[in-house]
Amino acid sequence: MSNAAIDPIPQRRPSHEPRRAPVEIVTSRAQRRARPRIAYALVATASLFVLLLTQLAISIALSDGAYTISDLQAEKTELTRDQQKYSEQLDVLSSPQNLANNAEQLGMVRNSNPVYLDPTTGAVHGDPAPADGTADGTDNLIPNTLLDGVPLATVAPDAATTDTAAPAASSDAAAQGTPPTDSATTGAATAGSGTPSVASDPDQLAAPRTR
Amino acid sequence: MNTAPRSRRLRATLAMAVVIALVGVFVVRLADIQLVQAAELNAQSQNKREIQQVTYGDRGDITANDGTVLAGSVTRYNITAAPAFAADVTVTKTDADGEKTKVAMTVDQVLAEVATITGGSAATMEEALTRDPEANFAFLVKGVDVDAFRAVRDLKNSGVSWLYFERQSARTYPNGSVAGNLTGFVGTDGPQAGLERTADSCLAGTNGSETYERGADGVQLPGSTVTTKEAVAGGTLQLTVDKDLQYMTQQAIAEQGQAIGAESATAVVQEVATGKLLAVADWPTVDPNDVNLTKDVGDLGSKAFTASYEPGSTFKAMTAAMLLDSGKATPTSQATVPYSRSFPWGGEIHDASFHPTERLTLTGILRDSSNVGISLLGQDLSAQARYDYMVKFGLNEPTAVGFLGEPTQGVRAASSWDQQTSINTMFGQGVSTTALHVASIFQTLGNHGVRLPSQLVEGCTAADGTVTPAPAVAGTTVVSPWAADTTVNMLESVVSAGEQKDALTIPGYRVAAKTGTAEMARADGTGYGSDRVVSVAGIAPAEDPKYVVVVSFTKPSTMKTSAAAAPTFNKIMSQVLEMYRVPPSTEPAPAIPQTW
Repeated sequence: MSNAAIDPIPQRRPSHEPRRAPVEIVTSRAQRRARPRIAYALVATASLFVLLLTQLAISIALSDGAYTISDLQAEKTELTRDQQKYSEQLDVLSSPQNLANNAEQLGMVRNSNPVYLDPTTGAVHGDPAPADGTADGTDNLIPNTLLDGVPLATVAPDAATTDTAAPAASSDAAAQGTPPTDSATTGAATAGSGTPSVASDPDQLAAPRTR
Repeated sequence: MNTAPRSRRLRATLAMAVVIALVGVFVVRLADIQLVQAAELNAQSQNKREIQQVTYGDRGDITANDGTVLAGSVTRYNITAAPAFAADVTVTKTDADGEKTKVAMTVDQVLAEVATITGGSAATMEEALTRDPEANFAFLVKGVDVDAFRAVRDLKNSGVSWLYFERQSARTYPNGSVAGNLTGFVGTDGPQAGLERTADSCLAGTNGSETYERGADGVQLPGSTVTTKEAVAGGTLQLTVDKDLQYMTQQAIAEQGQAIGAESATAVVQEVATGKLLAVADWPTVDPNDVNLTKDVGDLGSKAFTASYEPGSTFKAMTAAMLLDSGKATPTSQATVPYSRSFPWGGEIHDASFHPTERLTLTGILRDSSNVGISLLGQDLSAQARYDYMVKFGLNEPTAVGFLGEPTQGVRAASSWDQQTSINTMFGQGVSTTALHVASIFQTLGNHGVRLPSQLVEGCTAADGTVTPAPAVAGTTVVSPWAADTTVNMLESVVSAGEQKDALTIPGYRVAAKTGTAEMARADGTGYGSDRVVSVAGIAPAEDPKYVVVVSFTKPSTMKTSAAAAPTFNKIMSQVLEMYRVPPSTEPAPAIPQTW
């Protein structure tokens, strides 16, 4: 039967025989099984491409990461340098010499006459006297070359602040009717509603808040 | 007929031979490349791709007892150039609006700009460049800070390709001369003095190295970093020194040293219960940031540790303690004390100032600091016995700190003393000690007779966090607690009734102290000259000793008595008591008869 099925040469049939349906060549199951399937090829090729593309993507991502790492490392280096620079400055500024120089510059004097109060008995040991700075008025004698060129705190701005702060606040209050700036105008206009009216004074540490 | 096949065979043979020969050549070449030259070629290719870089293990910090950095490592940069490529360049300048303009710059202009940025000298740089025009390397400026480095780097990036940089680890001392005598300093050849040198094994870091491969644009290839050697940062050395007390102490001796025209001065503050040194001050002292400012080489270290001097009367406190401990005397032992005393061998001693013959107890002798008096009572104890006590007080050995340059020879053996020296040692002449040794004597007396080794280093913290504390030490019992405590009580009479009582008294506190005005032997060995070492050593509070302060001034020119040292002792001790919040004394000092 299988022979007949695959026989390529049609057998001559007697003409008197009734016409039969044309013979079809049917592939056997084995043949069907043996035939290569396009789907497999497609899957294989596609996955190969997917693999290659993935590899490419990973490689791109990796080298991209290398640049990111490189950038971040450079940034970290710079920030570390900043940190070192500032902590170095801080160490120098917090040296006793700098504190002593600044304290002196600001008009402070050393007290060479310590007096002790004993809280249990209330006894005062020693002779309380104001430090006048004349008895012990020598400058800092302990050199520190790192402080060369480090500016000292100056008295002037501080004095100016304390001197002008009070008048500024009062003049602000007085000038509420005719304030010089726009923000102050709104402040004055809404003064009744509780908006701080002296917010325009930057030196005012504790701006009044009525809320 | 046979020729055709033969020539065919010949051709075939020839061809085969050629093929074999070729294959042979290839095989040989292959073997040569793959086996013989493999290492060299690999190295060459590695060199093309691979970058080796140093990873830095910085030197560790020296800190005060609160962690304040006394000596730290900072990064500095050397700016270098390749003279062979130094040429005029065109740089791209970007102005404030981001507009880029190209500007031609000559070598001189570049150097001038580098000089402006770094504060270096353009002339020196030009000299460095022209010294060997073919060289690939020349230093332009050394040790610039990060701001200058960034500015020069911007200049390089704008087009000056022949500028290069080197990282350099430098040492900084943020507190300048505060404890500069102790930290020492680091020179170009490594640590030169002080703890930088003696504690180098703790502080030194080890540079490491790593390699990575880079792409054509210089970016590191991921995963190619290989650490060939791990960098190890140095450890942190913590001292027992208090930064503020150290400053205050240095300032105090500097003020007084200038006022009395002294040559040098030292001050030591030691904690009685632990032997820890809270301040070791020297004047004049080195600023380790700029060692060249110190002209006298002797001022580079710490004279408190290294300078031997005859301590003078502060020694009488120890002599008194010996006498009490050995039972040869009590606080009220009596002596009839004339102004001077002559000896059969021709020697003579006398007291500091003339006085009629007095009837003093041992306490009174200490109060008046009578040389004659202490020699009358002290002669009951043999020279050898006194020497043995001195050994127990640690006077014949360097301190436990092991500071650089400490004298190795202390008190000479009693067998080498002549009769006069034997007398002199009772009041501190004829023996030499350092300020630290004197402090140690008073620490022993304050600590009820138990001597603790002086301690300057709290410990070493390695980079990985492991702490190596200073080795635990056992105290040595030198004299009995009674002898020590009683000596302290006797020394209170110096402060309450002695010549310097006004300068020494600290209101509210019981202070035990001993003054000293020691004669200095002439350098040429011809006996004692007019130079003095004036000092005060003391303990407070006397009822429960907590702190020892020793102040000494060498060769004062305007005031040659211990009156010169007393105000400074008072100032430092007041500061110590205030700083460590020692409560004022509540009970009065015991009254010990000073005369009879």
